[in-house]
Amino acid sequence: MFGVDFFDSKIIEGTTTSIVLDNGNIKEVSVNYTKGAGIRALSGGSWGITSADGDFDLNKAIRAAAELAQGMDERSPKEKVKMMEVPKPVVDNLPKVKIDPRDVSLEEKVKQLSEMGKRADLDGISSVSAVYSESNYKIMYSDSTGIEGEYDITRTGFAVSAVASRNGIYQAGRESRFGVTGYELFEKHDALELAESAAKTALELLDAKPAKGGNLPVILDPELAGVFAHEAVGHASEADLVLEGSSILENRIGEEIGSPLINVIDDPTLHEYGYFPFDDEGAQSEKTVLIKDGVLNSYLHSRETAAKLGGTPGHSRAQGHSRPIVRMSNTYIDNGTSKFDEMLEDIGDGVYLIGSRGGQVNTGEGVFQFNAEKGYLIENGELTTLLRDVSLSGKILEILNNVKMVGDDLTMNSGRCGKGGQLVPVTDGSPHLMVTEALVGGA
Amino acid sequence: MDMYELAKKGLKAATDFGAEEAEIFIMENHKTSVDIRKDEIEGAKENISQGLGIRAIINGAVGFASTNIISRIDDAAKSAVSSARVRDSDPDWKSLPSNGDYPEVSGVLDSELEQMELDDCISRSMQMIEGAKSVSGIVVTSGNFSRSFGSRLIMNTNGVEIEESSTGISGFTDVITTGDSVSTAYDFAVSRKNDIDFQAIGKSAAKLADNSRNAISIEAQRTSVILHPFAFSDLLGNAFMPSIDANNVQKGRSNLTGRIGEDIATEKLSIIDDGLLEGGIETGRSDDEGVPSQRTTVLEKGVFRSYLYDSYTAGKDNVESTGNASRGSYFSTPSVGPRNFIVDYPSTDIIGDTENGVLVNTVIGAHTANSISGDFSVEARNAFTIKDGEIDKPIKSLMISGNIFDMLKKMDGAGTDTRKVGGVVTPSVRIEEMSVVG
Repeated sequence: MFGVDFFDSKIIEGTTTSIVLDNGNIKEVSVNYTKGAGIRALSGGSWGITSADGDFDLNKAIRAAAELAQGMDERSPKEKVKMMEVPKPVVDNLPKVKIDPRDVSLEEKVKQLSEMGKRADLDGISSVSAVYSESNYKIMYSDSTGIEGEYDITRTGFAVSAVASRNGIYQAGRESRFGVTGYELFEKHDALELAESAAKTALELLDAKPAKGGNLPVILDPELAGVFAHEAVGHASEADLVLEGSSILENRIGEEIGSPLINVIDDPTLHEYGYFPFDDEGAQSEKTVLIKDGVLNSYLHSRETAAKLGGTPGHSRAQGHSRPIVRMSNTYIDNGTSKFDEMLEDIGDGVYLIGSRGGQVNTGEGVFQFNAEKGYLIENGELTTLLRDVSLSGKILEILNNVKMVGDDLTMNSGRCGKGGQLVPVTDGSPHLMVTEALVGGA
Repeated sequence: MDMYELAKKGLKAATDFGAEEAEIFIMENHKTSVDIRKDEIEGAKENISQGLGIRAIINGAVGFASTNIISRIDDAAKSAVSSARVRDSDPDWKSLPSNGDYPEVSGVLDSELEQMELDDCISRSMQMIEGAKSVSGIVVTSGNFSRSFGSRLIMNTNGVEIEESSTGISGFTDVITTGDSVSTAYDFAVSRKNDIDFQAIGKSAAKLADNSRNAISIEAQRTSVILHPFAFSDLLGNAFMPSIDANNVQKGRSNLTGRIGEDIATEKLSIIDDGLLEGGIETGRSDDEGVPSQRTTVLEKGVFRSYLYDSYTAGKDNVESTGNASRGSYFSTPSVGPRNFIVDYPSTDIIGDTENGVLVNTVIGAHTANSISGDFSVEARNAFTIKDGEIDKPIKSLMISGNIFDMLKKMDGAGTDTRKVGGVVTPSVRIEEMSVVG
């Protein structure tokens, strides 16, 4: 049909509601209704991709994608692309929504957010902002091999950030919780308590000292170590990056690339923010072990990369009706056996890095840079001076090799991950990690 | 239905549901893009997108809804009105903009781009690959070509009615070296006209990666640092621009609160926010809520002159909007954003003038900067030592840290290589005595 080797479509339809609180006032209440389709067609080695908004004619959109693919293949012919065949996906593990957020009034949500704002407005706090968002989407997938599937998914979450200022010094604290859940998210997490905690972090950072840089032994808290798992290990494991030659993990499956204490897993079946029952190419989701006891075990695959490199598809995702690319879901370093106290005792002198203000990685050269939210100087096995503006950078493989202890306190954090201009929901997590040497930067 | 009829229908629906003021923002865009992966053209994309956003105001409370389903415009109008009803009246809300006197702009619509055929899109993508392959030992890991044309209509119940059409074209090439010493580099260009040299993008990325091979380590030190427009615009955008956003100032999130008229930078530096720049990426007759575009002096010979305002923040400070309302898309409400942000400093041969120093082409991690204090600590990429006025050796790994406000005071040179990095128009700049950790 349509004269091409393969085509597929993802239709997405739903509603997003978001509320923004800024300095005690509701700044924004917005609702978005959206419907659209992302369509791909493959002719020989060329992809033709179209998207359609609103009330569209699916056949017409597929025909346009097919013509584009054929046109591209005539003008720049290349090696045929194969798509791995997959069985029809089974949707039997959807998270159950206890309280549908659409059944909760807008007034109630506004009240919840306002209370969070009040709770964070402690003495010394100069501004507070908070966001609530909910979305309900229906996803429908079908392809030219006869695969089809659909599911409905609800996502709910909130974030709060507080800024403290004194004599021209500004410091921020932030807390957020997002999940594949309904309004019961507020039963699971005490949003008011978290709002206060964000404010307390901002306040205590006013008295923190700037970090002194250097190569030092460090302990990473679960949040920052989770960011490392995601940014440094996860991205380098994405098979599209491996195939284009942009990953230091190319040709290293089966090789020991880190300490034998390290196990890194990506599992879209967990009911965390990065959950999906099947990916945006109709492939069933399943748990993938990226690093097993320090040995590189698998990449993350789409149907195209799995056919090319050998592997299991199920990690191809798209934001809305964009083009699906290889992505992570819920990525974490698995538990070890060490206790935090043992790490402190072992490290003697060093730095304890806590939380994350984001980071970036160059997977081709294997270097990364992350900023922690805060840190502590460790002297003689004791946490002493509070540090701010502290960052961590270095080589991915060196850090993996320098891990000396892995904690037993795995914690997950949710967020959104950007790649190729697309944002998708993910979580990452880790227990505490003790690393014998890493480059700590300061202001 | 044409855009004007649709807008009128939306405004009527909103007022019928009870809105005192209402605004419709409609966007249509047609984009063709070509993706490159590992030295080959992987495929092409055609995206035709459209959508509308409605703001409804009742008693000083603003509600918002958006949709890409034109048939649901009445539902969206109703949601916008319900959203307004759950909010308290905002005493700072003045009103939506009224019809203004719109200046003419030029260089933002190029019929060649509108009519560009797929063949031309492919050949320009091929030119990036050829440019990169003219340097040996280089693989193009990924790249992208795109051209777009679109129009935007803003209509409100206070008489604003402005439609603008524009075009855009861009190219991006990311390369890696093959062999033992691995290094990467990228280059890109963006324009409103069909005037990009695509071959040059590929070649310059390839040369930079090639020159970055066999890098050395350097000692931690304080030295002169020359920041390429890519590196400098990244730091400006993340560490400086948030402080001149009137919304951040009003919320106590700016280092520049109450500092208008103060010397905050070297007297040789001026910065203009210009919505009217010929062919500028952020150029248009109006901003994203229908306020006429203008030129705003942000920094005049080192003296801080103005914050940037949209109509809401301007109303709060009892000043006029500077035409800086910006929306990422039809589904976002307007917020303050820069237009063409032009860095002006007398140009010289800054590398030739530098006895000892470091050249930094790009940075990673600029978004982790403290947007209030201006402190940052970032990883420098494609960095080189400078010795006796010449680029000497590539540097392996380098962190640069500092504070953007200190930097503006310690700027002591700018190059002749001014370029548009998106909306930021800047040359390379030199900062004395920056801290670098190798």
